[in-house]
Amino acid sequence: MSLAVRERAKERGKRPARPAGTARRTGGGTARLAPYLFILPALALFAAFRLYPIGWSFVLSLYHTEGMTQTWTGLGNYQRLIHDPLFWKALGNTGLILVVQVPVMLCLALGLSVALNSALLRWKPLFRLGFFLPVVTGLVTYGLMMGALLNQDSGAVNWLLSLVGLPEVHWLTDPFWAKVSVMLALTWHYTGYNAVIYLARLQGIPDEHYEAAAVDGAGAWRRFWHITLPGLRPALLLTVVLSTIGTLQLFDEPFIMTGGGPDNATTTIGVYLYQTGFRYFDFGYASAIGYALVLIISVFGLIQVKLAKEED
Amino acid sequence: MGGRVVGGPSRRGFLRGLGAAALAAGGAGTLAACGGSSGGGAVTGGSGEPSGSITVWSWKNPAAELRALIPAFNAVHPKVQVNVQDIGNPAIWDKITIAMEAGGQGLADLLHIGVDYLPSYIEKFPGGLADLSQLGANQYSSAFAPGLWQTVSRGSKVYALPWEANAAGFFVRADLFKKAGVDPSSLLTWDDVIVAGKKVKAATGTALFAVDKSASQADSANLFQLLMQLQGAFYFNLDGKITLNSPEAVRALTLIKEMDDAGLLADVQGSPGTTGYDTAVKSGKVAVCPDPAWYGGYLEALAPDLKGDWQLILPPAVTPGGSRSAIVNSTHLAVSGTSKNQRAAFAFAEFALTRPDSQVSIFKAKGIFPALLKAYDDPVFHQSDPYFGGQKYAEVFVEELSKPSTPTNYTSDYARALKAVDDAQTKVLLQGAAPAAVLKAAASQLAQQTRRSQA
Repeated sequence: MSLAVRERAKERGKRPARPAGTARRTGGGTARLAPYLFILPALALFAAFRLYPIGWSFVLSLYHTEGMTQTWTGLGNYQRLIHDPLFWKALGNTGLILVVQVPVMLCLALGLSVALNSALLRWKPLFRLGFFLPVVTGLVTYGLMMGALLNQDSGAVNWLLSLVGLPEVHWLTDPFWAKVSVMLALTWHYTGYNAVIYLARLQGIPDEHYEAAAVDGAGAWRRFWHITLPGLRPALLLTVVLSTIGTLQLFDEPFIMTGGGPDNATTTIGVYLYQTGFRYFDFGYASAIGYALVLIISVFGLIQVKLAKEED
Repeated sequence: MGGRVVGGPSRRGFLRGLGAAALAAGGAGTLAACGGSSGGGAVTGGSGEPSGSITVWSWKNPAAELRALIPAFNAVHPKVQVNVQDIGNPAIWDKITIAMEAGGQGLADLLHIGVDYLPSYIEKFPGGLADLSQLGANQYSSAFAPGLWQTVSRGSKVYALPWEANAAGFFVRADLFKKAGVDPSSLLTWDDVIVAGKKVKAATGTALFAVDKSASQADSANLFQLLMQLQGAFYFNLDGKITLNSPEAVRALTLIKEMDDAGLLADVQGSPGTTGYDTAVKSGKVAVCPDPAWYGGYLEALAPDLKGDWQLILPPAVTPGGSRSAIVNSTHLAVSGTSKNQRAAFAFAEFALTRPDSQVSIFKAKGIFPALLKAYDDPVFHQSDPYFGGQKYAEVFVEELSKPSTPTNYTSDYARALKAVDDAQTKVLLQGAAPAAVLKAAASQLAQQTRRSQA
């Protein structure tokens, strides 16, 4: 059925007419069931591998677990979270990365996408490929690579610093620089990804808008502010939401590069959850940490979507 | 605690299809654990001559050595097919944990498990490991180095057979000490170590020990743990109470701080057997490796150029006249509770671990030091070794392992304790914190996390 037929039917306020040649066959009940039967395998897998773990982990968060021994504790694990300094430390670390790294990365991606979209730039495909390549690097591989580059004694970064007479930096072993290192790694890996999203959107903004603005005397900055940015708004919202969720779930980079250290300086909620579950076998408490994270992500998501709607 | 073991029949059938803990809820990482096996039932694998196929999980060198034993094992037990898999270390711990959490589904029949994980698996996953007393394991209760049987058993139940017994060694670069005019055998206490370390540093510019100050590895507090064990102490006492705030702990961390203040600790990322640490040792960045027995054999392969430069002594005592021996870790073979062929799996473990010939061949190939007392009668443990300047280095460990030793209570909360100690040490070494204060905080944090009381 074409969209036009559906729209016309809507206008008439009644069900769309059945196109000719598609008369209802006998056994219509079965026919109606058919699509459900087709999606049943997918639904069953979804229920088994998505819904069940989500539901069961909530139940688990209400138990104190010692490996396979479980004791009902109600909201005990959640109360424990409130009084757990390590949880707050992990939350603080994650929050700090969120408010520092995400804006820096998105601004970089924005600048990059505008540059890559410029008519003045030659060898565009080469640059686009270059900036997007980090995205396809495996998380573990690039974590290890960053760890090797930033190694205090044998890393290439400190070697380069020494060439220009700068002192060596304890990238992974100093609490401050360890956070910086994780942020650098994230920025290297994801900037290209966000830039490509912006670039796709930029290419959808008609050139006529820029030409008209130029005729009206608008300079480059005004054109960027009044045409490019508004045009990018849906893409900006998408990347902000995705980056926020991704950062709140951050696990691989700190786990591989610093193991969450030194002294928990790069322990994120994801790392703490992993340690609690898979190192300490405290799965009930790990589930409670997971649900606290779900709550935080939901709140952030709602706020962002609401802000976007208000602006509309 | 009034706990119960989960895994009722109604849920178990469903769970088996689902596998292990899952990261769920929009990828946010919420965990779902699955129920388990009842365990403790009848021995599987029939009666009489063992038969069928078994899978063994281990890592790198030990896996290679177990594989090398298969032809000899098959000469005795021709009906058993053995498949040894190198899972890698530390990957093996996650693999075992996930399978345990899934009620034992997917576990290999025979598992190689370190002492830092064994108590957790025994205590937190009832039925996860088979009770080997039903297969006659109790006959070996006095066959291994003192203290190890307590580690693998609980009352009359036996959950593993000991394999490696790693007594602490003090591998000294005799050539550097000679340059500084210090005789390694004069190191009787750790105060002597500090005095000697300053001389070595002044004469050669070399630090004494490599320490992972930022704790990039979980076992970055090896030196602290050794200093505790030499005092007959540990993170927990025999009642399971936390002892991180004890005078012994404060003494251990204070010694480490003193050595760091004197410039005797090189900051090296990693622990023995990892690239950072091994490179530091190989390149002569440190003059002493206070490491477990296995590091002796490993060292020989790692740094052949340093042949003749090493001397092995017992670790010095923390207090004058105090103990100079400590079993710092051990590994074991355990049969999984869900194995369908426990009899054959146990037969292979028995062949590998209780037969001196097997252990001697493993020691000759890779220097993995056995816990089996009978193996020590072999001449290989009493011959001079050119790598150690002609010293009968294995005898040092044989003597150490034959002595009565203080049992070490790792408890099921060892991993949390280790993390608390790592963080405390990092605060002292990188931020100049006071040892007593950070240990007090670590003990109270551990108590809050584990619901254990402090001694």
